[in-house]
Amino acid sequence: MTTDEQLAKAAQQGSEPAFSELVRRYRTRLLRFLLTRSASRADAEDAIQDTFVNAYRYLHSYNPRWRFSTWLYRIAIRNAARQARHESPALAEQRSDSGDPLAECIAASERENLWWTAKTLLSADAYAAMWLRYVEDMPVADVARALQRPLPWTKVTLMRARRRLSRALAEEAGTATRREIYG
Amino acid sequence: MDKLERRLKQDAGEIRAEVSPELQTRIDASLHAAARQRPIQAESRPTATLWWASSLTGLVAAAVVIVLLNWNQERAETRPVEVAREFSTVPQPLLPIHGRLPLKTRTADLTGPLEQELLHLQADIEKARENLQRDLRITF
Repeated sequence: MTTDEQLAKAAQQGSEPAFSELVRRYRTRLLRFLLTRSASRADAEDAIQDTFVNAYRYLHSYNPRWRFSTWLYRIAIRNAARQARHESPALAEQRSDSGDPLAECIAASERENLWWTAKTLLSADAYAAMWLRYVEDMPVADVARALQRPLPWTKVTLMRARRRLSRALAEEAGTATRREIYG
Repeated sequence: MDKLERRLKQDAGEIRAEVSPELQTRIDASLHAAARQRPIQAESRPTATLWWASSLTGLVAAAVVIVLLNWNQERAETRPVEVAREFSTVPQPLLPIHGRLPLKTRTADLTGPLEQELLHLQADIEKARENLQRDLRITF
């Protein structure tokens, strides 16, 4: 199977099918990630569209020595941040009334989705770091590069975020046990 | 992989993020638009790769300006020295080292016109004295 980096190299040389394959591979993963960072589903869809267009435009600047996913997520994070800056507070308020896109996209389950808990407990950067590390399986150095943060900062942020989420998970387990005992 | 990591992965999978056909069409359309713009960028690229030529021209021009400025400076520095020697404004004790210190050229440059003026005045006084003596001789 062709790797992302090989496809990116082919796309750099002008192969449009190679880029289409990269879009196909990343569209769902990227949309899932952007849904957790945007104010609405429409914003997440705009952000994913901009991300692919920017990736296509600046493909010549991609260095195949690095993971393609790191480069692509960096563009996505930048687009999501730009969108958040441009959004007026009134619009954000209006959107928060209609509900978080992440909450809408989480399948109905008996227990609470941990990413929903993470969104309420962690900062945007810490959330993104956790996502890239544990969902995308990126090495910590790549997470730092994607977030454009120093490596020690990324390590400390990941450690703190893990600790917070572990505590939340333990509390959730405790509540479930009590529920089982006392009904 | 510990319990937390397993749970994070599992819960991420539960987030529904299907790309709708409308969104896919939007992405494809914007990529096609970007692809159409690309050849234009590619055409304009060869001129962008000639950055080294413009840099080289700039460097050569800078070198020429530096050489010209230095050449003019050398000429400007030599002229006052000649003036200084002509009017001998250099103090007697400094005559042996005259011409070796660049400071003297500045001195000569500044006092040269004054020396000339002094000579003219002395000549005028001499003329006036001669006229006065002649007038006195005629009167008495």
